[in-house]
Formats: sequence, structure tokens, C-alpha cells
Amino acid sequence: MSLPSFQLLRPKTIAEAVALLAEHDREVKIVAGGTDLLPSMKQKLFTPPYVLDLRGVSELRGIRDVAGQGVEIGALTTLSAIEHASIIRKDYSVLYEAVRTVASPVLRNMGTLGGNVCLDTRCLWYNQSLLWRKSCGFCLKKDGDLCHVAPGGKFCWAAFSGDTPPALLCLGAEIEIVSSHGVRRTPLSEFYVNDGIVRLRLAPNEIVTRVFLPASAAGWRGSYHKLRIRGSIDYPLAGVAVALKMNQDRVADARVAITAVNPAPHLVKDADAQLIGLAPDEGLAERIGEMAARTAKPLTTSALTPEYRREMVRVFTKRAVVACAN
Amino acid sequence: MTDFSIIGKPIAMVDAAGKTTGAGKYADDFKLPGMLIGKILHSPYPHARIKSIDTSGAKALDGVVAVITGEDAPNPYGILPVGHDETALAVGKVRYVGDHVACVAAISEEIAERALELIEIDYEPLPAWFDPEQSMKAEIDLIHENRPHNIEKDYHHVFGDPDKGFADADYVHEARYIANEVTHAAMEPHCTLANFELDPHTGKLGRLTVWSSTQVPYYLQHKLSLVLEMPMSQIRVIKPLVGGGFGGKSEIIPLEIIAAVAARAAKAPVKITYTREEVFWAHRGRPRTIIDLKTGVKNDGRVTSVACKVIQDGGAYCSYGVVTILYSGALLGALYDIPNIRYDGYRVLTNKPACGAMRGHGTVNVRFAFESQMDEIAAKLNLDPAAVRRINLLKPPTVTVNGLRVLSYGLPECIDQVITRSGWLERKGKLPKGHGLGMACSHYVSGAANSIIRSDMPHSTVNIKIDRDGGVVVYTGASEIGQGSDTMTAQVVAEVLGCDLARVKVIAADTDLTPIDLGSYSSRVTFMAGNAALRAAEEVKKNIVSAAAKRMNCPPEDVIMRNDHVYKRGVVPGDHDPTAAEILEEKDAPRGRVDGQILRGSVLQTRKEEGPKQHMSFEEAVVSAIDFHGALTGTGSYAPPAEARGGKHKGGGVGPSPAYSYSAQVAEVSVDEETGEVRVHKIWAAHDCGRALNPVAVEGQVIGSVWMGLGQALEEEMVWKDGLLMNPGMLEYRSPSSAESPDIECIIVESIDPEGPFGAKEAGEGSLAATIPAISNAICDAVGVRLRESPFTPERILAALRAKKGMKRIEMTESVDPTAPATFREHGGSLWFRGKGPLRDPLDPSRQPSRASAVLGGKQ
Repeated sequence: MSLPSFQLLRPKTIAEAVALLAEHDREVKIVAGGTDLLPSMKQKLFTPPYVLDLRGVSELRGIRDVAGQGVEIGALTTLSAIEHASIIRKDYSVLYEAVRTVASPVLRNMGTLGGNVCLDTRCLWYNQSLLWRKSCGFCLKKDGDLCHVAPGGKFCWAAFSGDTPPALLCLGAEIEIVSSHGVRRTPLSEFYVNDGIVRLRLAPNEIVTRVFLPASAAGWRGSYHKLRIRGSIDYPLAGVAVALKMNQDRVADARVAITAVNPAPHLVKDADAQLIGLAPDEGLAERIGEMAARTAKPLTTSALTPEYRREMVRVFTKRAVVACAN
Repeated sequence: MTDFSIIGKPIAMVDAAGKTTGAGKYADDFKLPGMLIGKILHSPYPHARIKSIDTSGAKALDGVVAVITGEDAPNPYGILPVGHDETALAVGKVRYVGDHVACVAAISEEIAERALELIEIDYEPLPAWFDPEQSMKAEIDLIHENRPHNIEKDYHHVFGDPDKGFADADYVHEARYIANEVTHAAMEPHCTLANFELDPHTGKLGRLTVWSSTQVPYYLQHKLSLVLEMPMSQIRVIKPLVGGGFGGKSEIIPLEIIAAVAARAAKAPVKITYTREEVFWAHRGRPRTIIDLKTGVKNDGRVTSVACKVIQDGGAYCSYGVVTILYSGALLGALYDIPNIRYDGYRVLTNKPACGAMRGHGTVNVRFAFESQMDEIAAKLNLDPAAVRRINLLKPPTVTVNGLRVLSYGLPECIDQVITRSGWLERKGKLPKGHGLGMACSHYVSGAANSIIRSDMPHSTVNIKIDRDGGVVVYTGASEIGQGSDTMTAQVVAEVLGCDLARVKVIAADTDLTPIDLGSYSSRVTFMAGNAALRAAEEVKKNIVSAAAKRMNCPPEDVIMRNDHVYKRGVVPGDHDPTAAEILEEKDAPRGRVDGQILRGSVLQTRKEEGPKQHMSFEEAVVSAIDFHGALTGTGSYAPPAEARGGKHKGGGVGPSPAYSYSAQVAEVSVDEETGEVRVHKIWAAHDCGRALNPVAVEGQVIGSVWMGLGQALEEEMVWKDGLLMNPGMLEYRSPSSAESPDIECIIVESIDPEGPFGAKEAGEGSLAATIPAISNAICDAVGVRLRESPFTPERILAALRAKKGMKRIEMTESVDPTAPATFREHGGSLWFRGKGPLRDPLDPSRQPSRASAVLGGKQ
């Protein structure tokens, strides 16, 4: 499979990048680490005339501790750089746990945080070669008008399969988005759309430039549990992030988020209300697990049965809550 | 002689440097002037008639040089003489999604890919067969017209008196086991470069040279000759470095022929490299196998009778299928003493990529069933699983009831070793909750005693040439595919000639240069090519010794070749203490450097001035030998002895081997009862390889086998939806990563085979089969669930645990209970069945209500 031909655009600054995006608009795909885009281009899921390579934009790289405001991470920062940053490990342990599970060490050296946040949704009926998709019949997400996962439906169930976003949601992260029209900042929780095709509230002329971890979330205990068959490489088949702010043995604040079981990563609604003020035990953890399982709507978009994956959301949430509390 | 200088030493592979630095050349690294890239168009349908093909659009595209279709090379071929059912490109019909239909040769990959889009094919879809048990009932729409009921081959063997054996049994155990389909997943995708030379006299295309990633250059030369209608003498096959085969390159893969046909049409060199997806379609892996196994035992565990019915989902072409189904039955024997055997084997055609030979060919899935059943019986009779195995050991030398001759037999020691090392007796049953130990045994042939193409020719031949420079050049057809065959050859020759390993240069697997060798499959190389190399070296040695004897004025028996020198018995060079050991150590020059290389003239000159010599350097001896004999060459060949070639029954030719390797393994696992996740902590693997010629290579092979078995046990599975492979890539087809690979303790057991080269047997395959049941037995020990279907994914284990506890069930597939599979879904796949799937012929069996209800177990 050859990479389809395209023209490579290599800006040096954010300003140049957004100008090029504005110029080519819908004809351009952005590449950072390339671990998500390039395989898909070989499979002819994308055949853009232009590819915008952000790697020359050095201002997008790095982790900065801004006194009193938290931590800023440039979108181009590699996942391994985050994994090895002591401040992340110390203050934002849920992100540390999640980022270490992404793919494999080699892929984490290439893959970026911005790429992981903006990851395309995945489905076994979609992430296939052109010939495979031709043989099967094209689907809603690419070139077709039907869904193989939910026949008859007009909704795309391709699953969001990033590991870091549930951790970032637990931390109340915000992201900075830049376009030629200016800069906007939005909570990550408002960035995703629960639709396998729409995916993100991100216009074609916009770039995610930074991720902000608020100071208020520093020091929260965190735990990330990932379902996969192999010990490495695999995308999550289900993932659960839990972050608890503890006051002695009581929960002062809490967030629970899940990934890979819906078209978007989701915060589990009202998990905080259930947890705050209590000292989590098995029973409480079990109840949170059931709430998370109800939030999960896995379908046959990946390996393992949806039933099993939902069940694991329950078990993993329970374990993550217990792990954080202890 | 056990005092070896090179044999038995851990030696780095002779080709290691090129592989580790990237300097080594694999087929895809070759480029020729004017070379074109070939891309293949594959069938999108599992079963369809080709009504017409229009290639004019593709041909018209700028940069396209040739477009070929089935009509350009319609001669059928196949690896087995009984299975010539393939053509390079489809003729008239396609039989699986991915079947090869047309090929474009163009100046770039991108242009070739674009040209494929311009080929127009009018298909008429036919009903397709996906489930082997359904396919066996087919009356119409047969996959091959000459194979009624889509049965490629069935065998019904009876050895001894199975009925009486069951009548004599105190206990009879019966169950069905399923091993889902797996593939080799070799690192290197298949690649072939083909080039025709112009005949200088006619100006037409003349000789063909093919560089290909193959385990079997000779068979490739043979099939190319058949399809291209060229004499074999005009075809040269060169095997460059190969990045792993595991059986996936042990027969002719379509691209190998297609590249040659395309080169002929384009009148230019053509290279084709499969994408990973194409590798999955080319496949030839281990078929999904349904095993109904029944074992009768006495109360002490002694087996009285075995009845085994095997159905293999073979895919759309014969490939090695007839051999696979025969191995599955034959290798019920030669591990344990089984007095009575009934075997019913069915190799069934389905509309999926052809299955073929894969590491542990034919034996792995049946061994999973058998070793699982041994443990089930042990549990039922309250016996130690190790004791049940020990009481059924063979007493060699012997010939089994199904005609397999067993001489060396290290299984008892293998069992002893793993029991001791794993602390089996002290720890079994006393581990913490959720932890368990399981054991299993396996074995494999050291080469098939009968060749695929029936003939009396030797299975391996090796030539050696030594010239005045003292360089030892070994010509062998044996195919190095990463297993260490070149290193083994060099070691054997260096040991016999007593020379430095660095002198030995192995020229391998080039049909113009090297004598015929059947190839690297069925673990035959060390035993057969090793024996041939040994004989060739002995022949050369005889000539060196006779010349040296004259020079040293002593009888030939007193000439000792050792450590790159030639000594006279009893005469110690210099002032050294006359002990043999010191003589031998003194001259042990570092490898990679040849000491004292002497130019021809100086040797001749010194000789004139000298009287009889007391000792000589290797070069001196070589020069003398050439002076006396004119040239220094030797040839050795090997054919298995008649008494090792098996019984006379139909199909009795498959299974016999001059020697069998043995393995015993213990696996330690823990199971998370809430998630069904298994962690394998350690595997103790004892392997009887006769003699370990290169212990580090043996360990590598055993660890690799165990690891591959681990993959099949826990993670790997080809999943199908209406003939469409759902996971045709290394992301979704999950070979284990290093993260979950356990500690593997390899224990080498040396039974010293009387016929093997220096007593060696195979090491590359025999350990794989034991790993799967060892893990399944350990899971059962840990949490009390018996898994009869591989791979043991967390959801299968959790479903079994839930079923055992009577808890809310996890619906794996509609109504299939993994603990007692009685009804079967389409090949593999736990969930795909619910997807809508591709558009197919309305008459597809998968669309028929009757089939649907069969699949749903009548519970719809």
C-alpha cells in the first residue's frame, strides 16, 4: 500500500500554520506524530491534496509549569515526554497512568498529546484497506450509506479510542484552539461530539495548540485502567480514568471518565455527587462502576464482545475507585 | 567422540551481522536496472464466476508496462502432486476474498495501484461456503468441481482394535475441542523479484532468475517450470535472507509465479512485495480445527484406546492440506504408547484463504485436545497429570501401532526435568487462589521420511570445495530462514575437518550453484542436510588425511585434524606436555581470523627443503591434498532409511520420520476471576533435541516455539465474517508483545539420536504444541474451568467462569457456551456474526434460515 501523493506544507510558526490552513481549508489534513494519520492514508481513508506538518512549529512543544495556574502542555509534546515529566507524575497521576498505556514505547516517542486528543474514531469496519472496504461495502463514515455495526441505523458508532482524554477530562483540562480568526479556549468536556463522524468541535481551519491542566486538579489521586488483549501496542477496548481529591479518607471532589466504548470519551455523570463526602469502600466503588457501565454503549466496533467490554468498564471503574481511595 | 571443538558450543549465527546492522539483503532489498513494480488485483468476492475481464483501461495508463490475467499462465499447480488446484491468477472463478485475479507491472507502485482501479471485471457471485461442517454437506456450487461435498480428502484409519480397547477401559472420556485459525505472522512479508535474460542467439527471452522469500527454492523452481513451460535448467531460484517463514513460505505462494509471468509479459524485471493484508490472504496457516476426541483408560491412567475425529477448515485450495490432515492422525502416535487408534480426518474446502503448513504442522491442534483430555482424565481418576503421562511412555526402540519408528526418546527426562525445576510436586495444588500449574507434552518429526514428490532421490545433498587458499566452501540447498541452517552447516563441516569456523563459507539455496535440497520444512534441515554436510565433509577429510599421511609418513588412521591443524597421533608439537587436551587448546585461535595463511609458493618452497612433517597447518594439508588429488571436493547426501519410512496403509507416508523430538512443559499462570484475564508467569520447557549442536540456537528455537504457542493459546485468532477477514493486520491480529511474554526456562535434554548428525534431532517446532495445553491445564488448575476452545481470551474465560458459578452469562455469540461447544458459528469470531456484513449472493448458506438456526443452536 503506497501513501497517496500529496503536497507537504511545513510551517515554522503557528501563524504560518493557521494561514496555510485558512488557504487550503478542507483540502488539508494535519500531521503531528503521524501514528494515526499515515496508516489511514495508506488505507485510503484520507487522500488529502495537502498535508500540514506541524513538527517544525517548535512553540507547540513542551511542558510548562505556570505558577498558580497549573501546567500547560504544547499539543506537539510527545506522549513519552509527558510520561517522563516528573511534574505530571507527581501532580497529575491519572494522566501519567493513562499516557503510559498508549500503544507502545516506540509509538509514544512519535505520537503527540494533540494527536491523541484529536484521534480519529475507530471501527473494525472502517479502519481497513480500500479493497477490504470495497469487498465489505462502504460504511457511513467513509464513502458509504450504511452502518455494519448497527444495520439500518444512520448513526456512526465508531469508538473514540484515545487513552489520555479520559484522564484529561478527570483533571478538568482545557484546550487552546487557534485559527486565522484568533484564539479560543474551551473545556475539553465540550470539545467532543458523541458521533463517530462529527467527533470534535473543531473547524477545518483550526488547530489544537495547547492543553491546560488546572492547578486546582494538582495532587488529585488518579488511576487509569485499560482493557486490551496484548500488554502493549493495542488501542483500548475499554478504558476508565478515575481522579479523586481526597480530604483525609473522605472524597472532596471526584471525576470518572470512560473511553473506547462510545464515539466520544465521556465523564460519568453524577459520579462526583455519589462520591463526595464519603470514604469509598467496595460497595460504593461497585455503585460507581455500575454508573460507568450504564454510560458505556459499546458496540461491535472492536475486538471482544460489547457485553464483555461493558462488564469490564464496571469492574475497572470499581477497581480504579478503590485504587485511588487507598 | 564427545570432545567436540565446535559442536555443542554456543555460537553466534554466521549471518547475524548483516541482520543486526541492516546490511543484509532480503528479497525486497534487491533492485535491477529497469525494474518494474507489480501489484495484484484481488477478488472482492468469496466465490464468484469471472464473466469477463477488461484490462484495456489499465493498459492505457501511462507508466503501465504489462497487465496479466489468469489466461496468461493457466497451468494448474500446487505444492502436493495430488493437489494441483491453483493457478497463478484466477481462471474462470475466484474462491476467496483476496484470491489473485490480475497483476499490473508499472514503473511505480502508485501507478500500478491506480491501474488496478481501472481493471473492470464482471463477476457473477456464487453461494459460498464458510463453515466446514456445512460445507461438507454441499451438493451444488462446489468450490472445486472434482471435490464432491467440498471434501479435499478424508482418511479413516484403524490401528489395533479400538473397539476392544474401549471395552477394556475402566473409564472413557469424550469431548469436543476447537482450535481457531492462526497464521504465521512472519516479520518479512513475501517478496519475489523475477528477471528474464535475453538469449544471446535468438534475442528472445531466455533464462529466468527469481529472488524470492522462500523456504523451498527447489519446489519453486519445479512449479515455475510447470507453469511457465520452461525446463528447470533454465530457471534459477535464489533465496536471499528470509525474515522468518514458520511454514508460510514452505510452498509456492501466488506472487512467486505471478512475478515471473509478469516479467515475461513486460520483458523487464518485476518485483512484487505483498502488503501485510496480502500476506494474510496468502495465509497457508493453521486451519481452524474441530476435534472430537475419545480416550479409554485403565484406572491407573494407562491408555487403552483413542478415537479421534478431526475436521479442518482448509480454505479454498488444497495447499498442504492432505499432509496436514494426515499428520493430525499420524502424530497421535510416537509420543505415548497407544495400543489402539481410530482416526477419521476430514480436510474440508471453504471459501477462505488456503490453510497450509505452520510450525508444528498438523499436530498442534490435536495435541491441544489430547493433552487437555489427559488432564481431564487425571482429574476424573484423581491422578497426578504427570503420573498419567509417565505411565503411558513408550519403550523404545519401538515401532508404534501406526508404523512410526522411535529410536531416541528423551521424553521421560523432559518430564522429570520440568517437574523438578517447576517444583511441581511441592507446589501443585498449593498455590494461592487464582494461581495454577499445568503440564503438557509434545513431539515433532525431524524431517518427513518421505518426500512430497515421490522419488528415490536424496532429500539433501551437500557439496564441499576447498581450494589452495584453505577456504572451505560449502554448497547446500538448505534454506536459511532465520532458524540457523547456515550456521549448523558451517559447524558440522568445521567440526569434521577440524578447521576454524571462520574458514567455512556457506553458499546456500541458489539452484544454479547448490545441489538439490527439499527445503526448510518439517524440521528436516539439521537432521537431513546436517547428515549430508557431515558425509560431504568426511569425504573431503578422507582426501586430506590420505595426503597428510603421506607427508607425515604415517598411516591415515594416525592423522588427527583438529583446531585448524593436522597432527600425527602421539606426536606433540614443540615442547608441550603430550596430553591431547593441551594440544587441542594450544591452537585454539580466535574465530574470525585465520592464523598463518600461507601463500602457495612459500608452501611449495618449504616442502622441497623439508623431510617428513610431524604436524601441519590446515592450509599445508589442503595444499598437499590438492597436489596429490588434483582437486579437493566432496559430496554427501542423505535419504531416510527404509525402516523409518512408515507403514503401507493409505496415507502411511505422512508421519514417519527418522527421529522425533520431544518436549515437556509446565506453565504457571494466574487468572483474574473478575475479568478473565490470564497472566502466564513462567513456562519451563524441556526439549529433547538429540544433541544440541548449538545450544544457544536451540534455546532460541524453543523459546520462539513456546512464545508462538502462547500467542495461539491466549491472543491470536483469525476472525471471519462471511469470508471476509476482520483482522488482516498486525494491529488487530494480536501476536503477543514482549510485555506479556513470560519468563521461559529452556532445558535442553540430549538423547543423542543414533542416526542424527552428531546425534542431533529437530529443535524448531516440537515445543510449540505443548504450550497451548500446558496453559489451558494451568488455567483449569487455577480457577477450575476447562477451556476447550482456543484462544483463551479473557471473555471466553470469564464466560466459562460465569457458567461454572451459575452467574449472569456473558453472551459470547448467540447460544454458544464456550465451556461446552455443541453448536458452531462461522469460523472463529465471537461477535462479528451480528454485524450486517458484506453484500453477498442471496443463496449464500449464511443467508439461509436453516443455517441460521443451526448456528443459533435451535434456540432462536
